[in-house]
Amino acid sequence: MSEWARFISDLLEQMPLILTGLGKTLQLASLISFTGFLMGVVVFYLTLSQRGIIRRLINGYISFFIGMPLIVLLFLMYYGLPQWGIKLTPFTVAVIGFTLNVGAYNAAYLTSAFNGLDRSELEAAKAQGFNHRQIFSLITLPQVLRLSIPALTNQIINNLKDSSIAFLIQYTEFFARVQELASTNFQFFKAYFFAALVYLCLVSIIVLIARALEKKILIPGIFR
Amino acid sequence: MSFLDIVLQLIQGVNYTVLVTLTCSATGLVVGLIVVGLRRLSFPGLRFLLDSFTYIFRAIPVLVLLFMVYFGLPMSGLKVPPLLAMALSLGLIAGAYIAEVFRGALDLVDASEIIAAQSMGMSRLQILISIEFPQMIRFAFPGMVNEFTTVLKYSPFAYTVGIPEITKQAMNLASTTMRGIEIYFAVGILYFVIYRIFLAGLQLLERHYRVPGLEPK
Amino acid sequence: MALIEINNLVKVFDKQTVLAGVNLSLVEGDVKVVMGPSGCGKSTLLRCLNRLIEPTSGTIIFRGEDITKPEVDVRALRQSIGFVFQQFALYRHLTVLENVTLALRKIRGMSRSEAKEKALHELSRLDMAIHCDKYPSQISGGQKQRVALARALAMDPAVVVFDEPTSALDPIMSREVAMLIKNLHRDNVTIMCVTHDLLLGRYLSERVAFLDHGIIKAEDTFENLCNNHSDPQIRSFFEREASTS
Repeated sequence: MSEWARFISDLLEQMPLILTGLGKTLQLASLISFTGFLMGVVVFYLTLSQRGIIRRLINGYISFFIGMPLIVLLFLMYYGLPQWGIKLTPFTVAVIGFTLNVGAYNAAYLTSAFNGLDRSELEAAKAQGFNHRQIFSLITLPQVLRLSIPALTNQIINNLKDSSIAFLIQYTEFFARVQELASTNFQFFKAYFFAALVYLCLVSIIVLIARALEKKILIPGIFR
Repeated sequence: MSFLDIVLQLIQGVNYTVLVTLTCSATGLVVGLIVVGLRRLSFPGLRFLLDSFTYIFRAIPVLVLLFMVYFGLPMSGLKVPPLLAMALSLGLIAGAYIAEVFRGALDLVDASEIIAAQSMGMSRLQILISIEFPQMIRFAFPGMVNEFTTVLKYSPFAYTVGIPEITKQAMNLASTTMRGIEIYFAVGILYFVIYRIFLAGLQLLERHYRVPGLEPK
Repeated sequence: MALIEINNLVKVFDKQTVLAGVNLSLVEGDVKVVMGPSGCGKSTLLRCLNRLIEPTSGTIIFRGEDITKPEVDVRALRQSIGFVFQQFALYRHLTVLENVTLALRKIRGMSRSEAKEKALHELSRLDMAIHCDKYPSQISGGQKQRVALARALAMDPAVVVFDEPTSALDPIMSREVAMLIKNLHRDNVTIMCVTHDLLLGRYLSERVAFLDHGIIKAEDTFENLCNNHSDPQIRSFFEREASTS
């Protein structure tokens, strides 16, 4: 039997496990895309605060999370917190860690879109008597979100790819299952190659969806 | 073991973190330049290959490619040293992203200047090196800094292939002292400090080479 | 003998005929002014001269050699034709001095100091030496045009070609540039100038070639074209001047 045939038969044998792993990857990636998005909006809202101290704290948060590897935060929670008696599941750790991290990135995208915005509209809204929160939700946010669609989409792609990090904290997602497959037959290259192909396909699906949306709403700059 | 001892131990990994980051950033920079340069000089067939490279390498997770190179290739008889494995995974992926940044920046180079250079009798390669690249790099600066930052943030993956960088030191410490919180907190701070130093260095470079009228937006 | 002789030059882009058999000649030391409405093929004509565009048929004899032949060394040809562009096209990342020295160093292989000396010589001829460390974004349009000219002259070209040299300038700077080109002519530089600026054309030369729909419709003095030419379209083109001045 050729090596490939053996690999494929092993692959088929372990397919149920790999598919549950893939399910977990997709679950984690979608959840953190959602929570990361909400976090990004909240953080962005806070960067517009009239209180200097809040703005400074929030900018510190964004800068810190953009400058620090996510894996460190995951290790801190997963390997560090038990020392205080707090034991979290890998999934919980991943969701919290990614949300904080992705939120910082999304907030940075929204902020840079905001900086490119025409401020006269905001002044007009203020002059009409809208309050701070109304201006944010009725004018600032819709415009900024529209402008940030390419960056936010690329972030979703990053979330999918980065979710593979979760296997380093024992979360049995897709890549962890591929590792198991590799260690049963020692066909490491083929197993990782297979994993790469799967990620490539998943990313391409997101790209295709984004492009279809792009055509509808005409926003350039999405992952090509 | 005091907190200071912990920090001192962690600092022993800084060399490796910096080494990995610089190696992979440099690989990314060179790959980005080559890809965008070939793309500019080339014919459609090669262009398709280059575009496929940037697309594929931006779609594969760093960890997957790293494992493929480091654990996969030896199976076919190719033993790859850890640092080279980082360059071939994180470095190539950074190269694909940087090539995209460069491609956008190259569009900002004024076509009339290229025609002027052609009219002076400069070759396509001379124009690329003397006119297009110097302007492109200035326009691409903010995007390049982002990619270098990303490289720094993925550099902890080097621990998985046995490079004793900061995260590896931290894991060793954590398993012997059971003080994971302080340790990883210190690691976070340490990365942040390295990030700020890198950023300051890059900004210094940018200011040194800044040309009036070509400031990055 | 003519320095440049263009015979029956044709250029067709995707079935669209841009040049339909242009005949034109330029004698060494002369100024040739070519005028015509926009879209008449002026830019294409100039770009055929240094093979930035490949002509479809016809010949261009430059210094006794047909330069439309495939075996011609295009880069050597380009070095002997100085080009000054409409939008100046200065290299934005280089100083005024470096804009002039770049080709001297990279193409002529001069050393840094040789190139600098040569560049400063050309720049001071055009009163730009004091600005040599500035970047293009820091000087005015007229000054940019001088640098572009110095950059072309530094290569000791056999002919300097101007493509709409005043169209991006205000009237005062246009006058300044016109005087500059005139002075160049006095220094015996061979010049070809394509423009739709009647004041400039008239100032540079008594005679003018009128290019329209890809052929030279007429070549005569301004006086005759304006008053006596049989084609009313040509008369009206050259009459514009009467109303603008």
